[in-house]
Amino acid sequence: MDAVERLYLDAMMEDPAAPGHSLRPQLLAGARARRRPAAATAAWAQPYAARVAAMDALLTSAVDDDWSRVIVEGWTLQELVAHLAAKDGLLAASVGAPVLGPPIKAADSLGRTSEVQAYERARSPEQTRRDWRAQADALCRHLADLPATTPATLDGMEVAVSDHLLARGLETWIHTADAAKTARLRLPDPIAEHIHPTADLCARLLPWTMLLSGLDGAGRTLCLTLTGAGGGEWRIALGVQDAAPGEPDAHITADVVEFCFLLGGRGDPAALPADLAGDLSLARDVLTAAPAFSGP
Amino acid sequence: MEAPYDDRLLHQRVVGGDESALGEVYDRLSSLIFGLSLRVTRDRVIAEDITQEVFLVFWERPLAYDPDRGTLRAWLATIAHRRAVDHVRAEERRRVSALGPRLFEREPARLEDDVLAADEADRVRQAVTSLPEGLRQAIELAYFGGRTYRQVGEELGVPEGTAKSRIRLALRRLADALAEEEV
Repeated sequence: MDAVERLYLDAMMEDPAAPGHSLRPQLLAGARARRRPAAATAAWAQPYAARVAAMDALLTSAVDDDWSRVIVEGWTLQELVAHLAAKDGLLAASVGAPVLGPPIKAADSLGRTSEVQAYERARSPEQTRRDWRAQADALCRHLADLPATTPATLDGMEVAVSDHLLARGLETWIHTADAAKTARLRLPDPIAEHIHPTADLCARLLPWTMLLSGLDGAGRTLCLTLTGAGGGEWRIALGVQDAAPGEPDAHITADVVEFCFLLGGRGDPAALPADLAGDLSLARDVLTAAPAFSGP
Repeated sequence: MEAPYDDRLLHQRVVGGDESALGEVYDRLSSLIFGLSLRVTRDRVIAEDITQEVFLVFWERPLAYDPDRGTLRAWLATIAHRRAVDHVRAEERRRVSALGPRLFEREPARLEDDVLAADEADRVRQAVTSLPEGLRQAIELAYFGGRTYRQVGEELGVPEGTAKSRIRLALRRLADALAEEEV
């Protein structure tokens, strides 16, 4: 917008006037009908519910061509949305929440993804979108009354349901970013209150990504500083058997969003803009191992 | 001009499906958007419809707004202005066609169109040059020189508050001048 247009619009707004009082409630009711807000759920599940709402907002703008364009993993947007629904459904099954879509035969995420994708391919993109959103919201509703520490199993990993859900939130976020990139839309970051617990999960995963990568971090301690809204500082014992972190052997400072995305398999560990200090080879090992859990 | 921090935060919350953020955006900007719509349409009912629709568009398609490209206020104002102008033109067409043959036909404005056509932008520039000297200088410094209120005050040798009230007075005069021409 150029200066003359800005000037003109400001001039036109120099006479503010109050619309009728009924307009506000009318607007909020109308908004609910146009786009569903984030599902009401437990506080710890809200980062996930908000990422679902953000993905849905992106899908609102998708036109026919967008749905058949390949986004990531060789999947079209429709297949990607089916993939998210598949994994959400497996987590739902694990905590006794309703599972939508075809009956579960394959209990692992890749197998279940194939099932749901096959089912959704016969449906319209809009139906796929509705199915995914219905599954996500059903999961949120179920979690509203569940303790965060309730054990849940996904792909053979049994951890607290809250951690699984943070991981689901991160995956939904990353795939929304993938789709936004293809659609050339700028996706704003989640709010700091939602980024922080996600970053915390990523930090806590580091001993496991080291283990999975065959790198030995036992007895070593990392000081991780994540900058930007939602960041913070973590002191992490890098061995999964370690009782408690000691004095830091290495320091890593990086942007909180880039770090979360690295764990999610986006970006090259060697190219991540990060300040390393202390035992540099340990710090590099941590970054190299970071994407170990990422998959489709 | 990039959006301030508050705009970004409200945008993040709306993208995340937070209804209360939409309420906050409405509380902050609805009187401006309604005032603008009312100025263009001169019809309270229509202006309320436009105001509601503008905030609904932001809620439904929040990714259409990019805080890197401007303030939320300017973005919403642009949409409101287009809708208001579309309404006025549709009314004109209805009147003209009721009178007889269609003398002119203009397509409704689309989202990607400029706010102002070239001749309209010229009218705004013309209206600026017709302002009294002190007001004209303040507007030129603030809008064409990219100065803050404080800088405008410094350059004109007046306190910041005076600079601000001069700019607002000038904006009001501009709006009145442009409205008169339209009659």
